[in-house]
Amino acid sequence: MRLIIVEDDPMIARSLYNALSPLGNSVDIFAHVRDARAALRNDHFDLMLLDLGLPDGNGLELLSELRERGDRTPVLILTARDGIEDRVRGLDLGADDYLAKPFSLVELEARVRALLRRSQQRSDNRLTLGPLCLDPTAGAATLDGVALGLPRRELRLLEGLLLHAGNIAPREMLEGRVFSFGEVGSNALEVYVSRLRKRLQGSGLCIRTFRGLGYRLEEAPT
Amino acid sequence: MTQVIGTLKARLAVWLLVMVSGLGTLLLMEAYYSTQRAAERAFDSQLEAAALTTADSVQWEGSTPVVRIPPAALQILATAHQERVFYAVLDHDGRRISANLAISIPSAGQAAAAIEPTWLDLTQAGTRWRLHGREYDSAGWDIQDPVQIWVGHTMSGRQVLASELFERAIIRFVAMVLLAGILMLLAMRVALKPMRQLRHRLRRRQADDMRPLNARVPEELREMVEALDTLFTRQRESRDNLLRFTADASHQLKTPLAGLQSTSELALQSRDPDEWYRALSDVHDGAKRTSRLAGQLLSLARLRHVEEADECLPLDLRKTLHDSVLEWAQREVAMEHDLGLAELPVEPMIIQGQAWALRELLGNLIDNALRYTPPGSEITLGLNTIGNHIMLYIEDNGPGVDPEIRPRLFQPFERGGRQDTQGSGLGLAIVDTIAQRHAAKLQVKERRPRGLRIEVHFPAAGEES
Repeated sequence: MRLIIVEDDPMIARSLYNALSPLGNSVDIFAHVRDARAALRNDHFDLMLLDLGLPDGNGLELLSELRERGDRTPVLILTARDGIEDRVRGLDLGADDYLAKPFSLVELEARVRALLRRSQQRSDNRLTLGPLCLDPTAGAATLDGVALGLPRRELRLLEGLLLHAGNIAPREMLEGRVFSFGEVGSNALEVYVSRLRKRLQGSGLCIRTFRGLGYRLEEAPT
Repeated sequence: MTQVIGTLKARLAVWLLVMVSGLGTLLLMEAYYSTQRAAERAFDSQLEAAALTTADSVQWEGSTPVVRIPPAALQILATAHQERVFYAVLDHDGRRISANLAISIPSAGQAAAAIEPTWLDLTQAGTRWRLHGREYDSAGWDIQDPVQIWVGHTMSGRQVLASELFERAIIRFVAMVLLAGILMLLAMRVALKPMRQLRHRLRRRQADDMRPLNARVPEELREMVEALDTLFTRQRESRDNLLRFTADASHQLKTPLAGLQSTSELALQSRDPDEWYRALSDVHDGAKRTSRLAGQLLSLARLRHVEEADECLPLDLRKTLHDSVLEWAQREVAMEHDLGLAELPVEPMIIQGQAWALRELLGNLIDNALRYTPPGSEITLGLNTIGNHIMLYIEDNGPGVDPEIRPRLFQPFERGGRQDTQGSGLGLAIVDTIAQRHAAKLQVKERRPRGLRIEVHFPAAGEES
């Protein structure tokens, strides 16, 4: 994976480099909008980490230029401004995610992984997380290469969870996927989730419940 | 931006000008008529004198009156203005005994003159004449019949006199207006002097001088000066608050920074990697705490000093709550807690609010709960309607807070009796500030069997403006 980091603070840039390159990425760092613009025109990157307050301009300009060109490179915005207006503006301009400084590197890595996974899936329709793989077109899921043979509703639930892998899949969204129409019992979804949980036992994956919010498919803590 | 709408001087001047020209027109009209009258009176008395002189010269030869106009009478009438002079003596039947010009005297005039001396204005052959007629009693002579004597002259002498008098009146008036204008300018300078002084005072003031003005001003300026003084007082208070806050804040920031500095300094002196590791993890904790503190100080400063920057808009509290809890549940700090949302009401929960401030409020409540409860604790947020209030709550099953300390929880730098270095004591102060701004009331309660519950009671939209 090829990553571009646009960040002018050398300490933050170095720690980003140190955190992301061991994950098997090649990382280019630029401190100026000018240099980053040139690099983005010449090369293809899989992910951009973008600071907003840069010495020769605003990172949002770079982002809007990129999107106007039709470049869909995923962008993760990093900024000390955590004002909601900036955040909304960044997302409106086509940023994929947003992380306010100061952030923990663990959280950053998780977000980067999720974004990279999503950008990969754009080219390859299959949804994967660890040993789990789901091919929505074929309607089949495999665990460690072994077919799971899931019934339709569980498959749709798993697809919903995988689409949000690493993030919370909102309950309303999952309910909409699993139950096509009509009234849904308050614990109907929970029934399917627990069935899926049983199937995933021992796979290194688990489904965590967030009360009132939704579910998250994640790698089980070891 | 100040918009200048003319000067006070110009306004005063315009009004005075309007008044002076109105009054001036009236005065001039009056002057015109009075000069006309004065000229008339002066010349009429000349006519009278001429008529009397003429009457003296009427003599009788038998029963026929003979008139020899004395030169004195004609001299009286012939003014310096090349006036034409007329005289006529008529007998009882209106026949001319003697006359110098063929001006016919209307019979109505003759009849009037028979009763008493009379005045007549008439125009003949394009010339205006002023005539005076009186009857001269011929008693004592043979014939008892009276004769009528008429004298007259053209009007130019009168007109010249009238216009001379009127010119003088105009000159007097113009001089008066000029004088009044000058006096008015002086008066305006004097009257507006307090304003000028106030302006100088304000200009000379130092930027940070927030003392009251203590100026001597007339009653009209008192309100303005009082308003300025109030403004200065408010600015002073705001600046004092800011200074106090900055002092508090820098003190609060200095403490963890000092810790970072001494820890890293000690580690640098050591050669033991284990020592380094311990120091680094301390430094890491310290840095996290410091950046959180900086964030909280910033939001408190923003709340307290950027007041009313944006308006309150109606918003659905369900969505704000859902989004905030969803965001916090995904954060790393929430990994070891069971942070969740109670079933939300079906109907919208509309309040008047600022979305960013409410997110800040929720963030601080959640952050506090995560920080002050042990891992594995359950933290639940929810919404309810109580009467016409909307109640937002957060509850946990952690250790709770001593009832004695609860009232002080919302004061800045209070840490619920904990003297550990975990928190800054700012979180609930921020919550309190935001709640006040939304006219919401905070309640801290005990949760059974254990834990803490904080309720925020918002007035529903429409209850309060």
